[in-house]
Amino acid sequence: MHPLAWFAWVVVASLSALLTRNPLYLVLLFGIALLALEAVSAAPRAGQLAGTERRGRATPVSPVRFALFAIPAGAVFNAALSHFGETVLFRMPQGWPLLGGPITVEALVFGAVNGLVLSTLFAAFAVLNVAVPVRDLIGYLPRAFYPVAVVAAIAVTFVPSTQQQVRQVREAQAVRGHRMRGLRDWLPLFMPVLIGGLERALQLAEAMTARGFAGRRANDAGSAPAGSSTAQVGTIGGLGCVLVGSVLRLMPRWSAWSTPLLVGGVALVGWAIWRTGRGVHHTRYRQHVWALRDSIVVVGAVVALVSWVLWPASRAYAPYPRVAWPGFDVRVGFGLMALILPAVIPAPQEEAHADDRV
Amino acid sequence: MPMIAFEHVSFAYPGAVSPVLRDIDWTLAEGELAVVAGPSGAGKSTLLRCINGLVPHFSGGTFGGRVVVDGLNPLTARPEAMCWHVGFVFQDPEAQFVMDRVEDEVAFALENAAIPRHEMRARIEEVLALLSLERLRDRDLATLSGGEKQRVAIAAALALRPRVLVLDEPTSQLDPQSAQDVLDTLAQLNRDAGLTIVLAEHRLERVLPFAHQLVHISGQTTQGSTSLVAGPPREVLSQIELAPPVVVLGRALQWSPLPITVAEARRFGPSSTKRAAPAAVRETGQETHGLLCSDSAREGAMAAEETTVRAEGLQVAYNGRRVLDDVALDLHRGEVTVMVGRNGAGKSTLLKALVGLVPLQRGQVWVGGREASHMTVAEICRQVAYLAQDPNALLFADTVMEELLITLRNHRILATDAPINPDALLDALGLRGKADAYPRDLSVGERQRVALAAITVTAPSTIMLDEPTRGLDYDAKAHLLELIHGWRNAGHAVLLVTHDVELAAAAADRIVVLDGGTIVAEGRPAEVMPMWPEFAPQIARLFPGTGWLTAEDALAGLQP
Amino acid sequence: MGDTLVRRLLRWLVYLLASLLGVGAFLYPFFAREAGAEAVGAAASPVFLTVLGGLSLVALLLETQGEATADAKRIALLGVLIGLNAALSFLETALPGPGGFSPVFFLIILGGYVFGHRSGFLLGSLTLFVSALITGGVGPWLPYRMLVAGWIGMTAPFVGLLVRRLRAQARPAEIVILAAFGGLWGLAFGALMNLWFWPFATGAADQHWQVGLGLRETAQRYLAFYVTTSLVWDLARAVGTAAMLVVFGRPTLRTLWRFQRRFEFQVIATVDGAVTGDDAASVAEVHA
Repeated sequence: MHPLAWFAWVVVASLSALLTRNPLYLVLLFGIALLALEAVSAAPRAGQLAGTERRGRATPVSPVRFALFAIPAGAVFNAALSHFGETVLFRMPQGWPLLGGPITVEALVFGAVNGLVLSTLFAAFAVLNVAVPVRDLIGYLPRAFYPVAVVAAIAVTFVPSTQQQVRQVREAQAVRGHRMRGLRDWLPLFMPVLIGGLERALQLAEAMTARGFAGRRANDAGSAPAGSSTAQVGTIGGLGCVLVGSVLRLMPRWSAWSTPLLVGGVALVGWAIWRTGRGVHHTRYRQHVWALRDSIVVVGAVVALVSWVLWPASRAYAPYPRVAWPGFDVRVGFGLMALILPAVIPAPQEEAHADDRV
Repeated sequence: MPMIAFEHVSFAYPGAVSPVLRDIDWTLAEGELAVVAGPSGAGKSTLLRCINGLVPHFSGGTFGGRVVVDGLNPLTARPEAMCWHVGFVFQDPEAQFVMDRVEDEVAFALENAAIPRHEMRARIEEVLALLSLERLRDRDLATLSGGEKQRVAIAAALALRPRVLVLDEPTSQLDPQSAQDVLDTLAQLNRDAGLTIVLAEHRLERVLPFAHQLVHISGQTTQGSTSLVAGPPREVLSQIELAPPVVVLGRALQWSPLPITVAEARRFGPSSTKRAAPAAVRETGQETHGLLCSDSAREGAMAAEETTVRAEGLQVAYNGRRVLDDVALDLHRGEVTVMVGRNGAGKSTLLKALVGLVPLQRGQVWVGGREASHMTVAEICRQVAYLAQDPNALLFADTVMEELLITLRNHRILATDAPINPDALLDALGLRGKADAYPRDLSVGERQRVALAAITVTAPSTIMLDEPTRGLDYDAKAHLLELIHGWRNAGHAVLLVTHDVELAAAAADRIVVLDGGTIVAEGRPAEVMPMWPEFAPQIARLFPGTGWLTAEDALAGLQP
Repeated sequence: MGDTLVRRLLRWLVYLLASLLGVGAFLYPFFAREAGAEAVGAAASPVFLTVLGGLSLVALLLETQGEATADAKRIALLGVLIGLNAALSFLETALPGPGGFSPVFFLIILGGYVFGHRSGFLLGSLTLFVSALITGGVGPWLPYRMLVAGWIGMTAPFVGLLVRRLRAQARPAEIVILAAFGGLWGLAFGALMNLWFWPFATGAADQHWQVGLGLRETAQRYLAFYVTTSLVWDLARAVGTAAMLVVFGRPTLRTLWRFQRRFEFQVIATVDGAVTGDDAASVAEVHA
């Protein structure tokens, strides 16, 4: 599936989690994210041999385990430190700092909901991490960030060889009698790896130069491409607007001005990015083809978002002062269900070569 | 109009005392393949980098003279423009890769040049087909063999459709099979695609068959200019000193036309072969490169025959795959054992198992009479010095002397109590005067010797070397051979793992062949090598059944 | 070929504004007086803050990446150091050290110290980026982590000013100052990151952030939150980073300086490419 479709999905899913404290909706979102994660983990990844997927990458924590930790932890923290609410479980001695006071169910629930929000966010991003290969995560950075993308690409390529290098160095040092006793003994392991890396960087730079990767300095034409100072001014203007807008938001008299300023500022910075991107001349070889599946997923995400906007009443939920069952709007529920589409639509057979060379 | 022309070219690196290249004149016609040979440091790499402008634009320094390549002057055109005319491939396949998949790597240069996508596609297909890489296109680069990696590097360089391809020692890090693949590919590119190729290479015997020109650079002449001899291989070979054994023999016996491969030499075979006593040659023969081995010292060492390291029934497995199966090996004082075998046969693993770096599933190792399982790696390594394939993994101190002191400190030996005087050790290894040098700045051969110093400062009884010939030129290999024989004569046990059959022939008292995790042959070189042609040196292949291994053996045998 | 004054001014203006914005985003909870339904309003704030923080990060990246494109050597250098650092971060999980200890800050600080503000920022932010990519840990908190780590690298050259003022180059005092710098940032990193999580723990509650409170009360509450939740973690990070700087700092600095020479770009002073006839000599001086 096209990475941009996944980005859209994740943005909507995490936005939804951030916009509500209603545990029913959150549980629904969490469940959807888990299903999507299952579906994505099972599918073969494009362009990779089996067994090479996790080379150089650590296995991420499963969202379920995260939730099992975050929800109780949040509940306990909140219950121990905040003492509001009417349904009291037991009382801690009043004299104790921070902890003294009634431990209430409301505080427990509130803390648990916080944990649930974090878990849902985690789950949504876990889907992104598995669904989109690292190369695409780097590759879909905006054009303006091409240097960042190249540096990141080199770094990602270099990680596995660092690990291998560490192993070699460990063996080599063991052979000259090196033993790991204290912090200082990490030095003979670290230094050859560092030096080797720096030497590699020189060789890599030479190879890149030989293939035509020129620096801007090499052009002797000034240390910045034409037009970048325009972009700089744009950035400065945009940042300034956002700053002023944020400050104004805090002052009730002028808070009406704050939103337009904020929006304008963000737009200015966006323009600066676009302008910088125009100065970057390179093409992309790997391009994903936008398929019907991608459109369906995006439409689903939009539907979910719209349902939040249309029926916002049941979004808010607070257990205080007395815990009660949260409301649930079936229409919103259905809207959110639209986020399950990626897990449900079957991948066509050629999916494995979706990053196509058409 | 030659494709490449050097006119009075001189170059000095920044901060260097004297220029590396001085007053060089050289031309190469289109469609020819030139091999550049010569000792390390003579300027081969520099010469190659002048072709695409890396010298002086990447390296800095002072440049004089004129170079014209495909109508352009690299000095003014700069590497960014030269890359369209000259492709460059470096020695270390991994260090030149930016991406981690084959196709992405090939596309990198094209993306950077903002080539439109459909044209990118066409070029990538073309270049992958040219190098027979189609079925590898989706593979991770790290899963490829060395030879495949270099082919990908060549593909990446050719994606811009240059007319010249320059390669700086592309096979020196590769095993023989991979090296042959790469060289065959180059020969094919030159033949079929008409690509002009310039190639720096130490192992001349592999490349000479398809070279149109041999360029030999050998440092400065008395007039101060760099001595550069260029011409058809046969001509140049008759003038230079260091050459493959077949050529040395041919020159000495004045065979004409000078044979440059074993096949060519066979033509002269029958008429000049005299069956001399094979075994006797080896015992009293002189060592190659003019070293004399003292007979009495050798006999004395042979008499001792003490076993320093013993292994029995070794079994080692990685990831469920059995790498070593029931291996038994003894190393004796005053004996050089050379282990040969194909890539992946388990040679490195065996060495590591002997020092305890690798856990044994079964079997036992005894070091100096004690069971190795009761000793730590550090304890074992006080008696057994092991030099891994990449000595750089060892070096990190600020000075050469510091490296030795670090080892002593690791073993808790005071510098004053050291079994060998560190200064004397440096002298013996040819590093006199380099005690304060930064190890990583030294040449490949010198760095190797620093590493050797660092592991032999504890006066070990056994010295094991894993593929020490990578990246070494003939001179450095000669020094290494001297060292090996020096150790042998002093009564150490030496185990050498190498692909370099010529070195193996010159150094070995005993050959062990490892294949598929087991030892399949063991014995004296004269007996074992002829049975295994792929590990046999040129002379042995030329004169089968005589037991001759080096050019000196053959000469001695043919002219008694 | 250097930067003109105007360019530098513009660049520092961007740094200033972006940093103000970023700091402001972090400290927003202390200042916010929000009208509207508490729960919803508070819930909207993380979104707002993420936008602010993200904007700050984007602006700084946009500005500092100019350094990276200076030449292939700089890109390769940064790429390799970042890869190295990200690989080190794997050790974070492998080492049985106290939680919170992360070995990455060591190289970020020294890299910024040796190679300058822009390289330092890139080193910091992209180390966390790549580390998140390869551990599958991309999350909504990533822009913040990148921002703070970038600041660490960006401010490291200021330590150089102090060291030069005290004339402590190549002396033990240099390492002490760097270690103190590392320790302080180790704590500050945790404190700032907590500010991201803190607004979640919100509500009509005594302990936690409540919109509409004054600065002093909010600060008190945050301090309490911080002490109970992450001080131990952050102490581990601070002490660990400082220890690494003390033990590994000197050799690493020496190595980085040694290589710094080789990574400097070269300029061709004079080139005369038009050669005619027999006059085949054209000499170019290329300086390091």
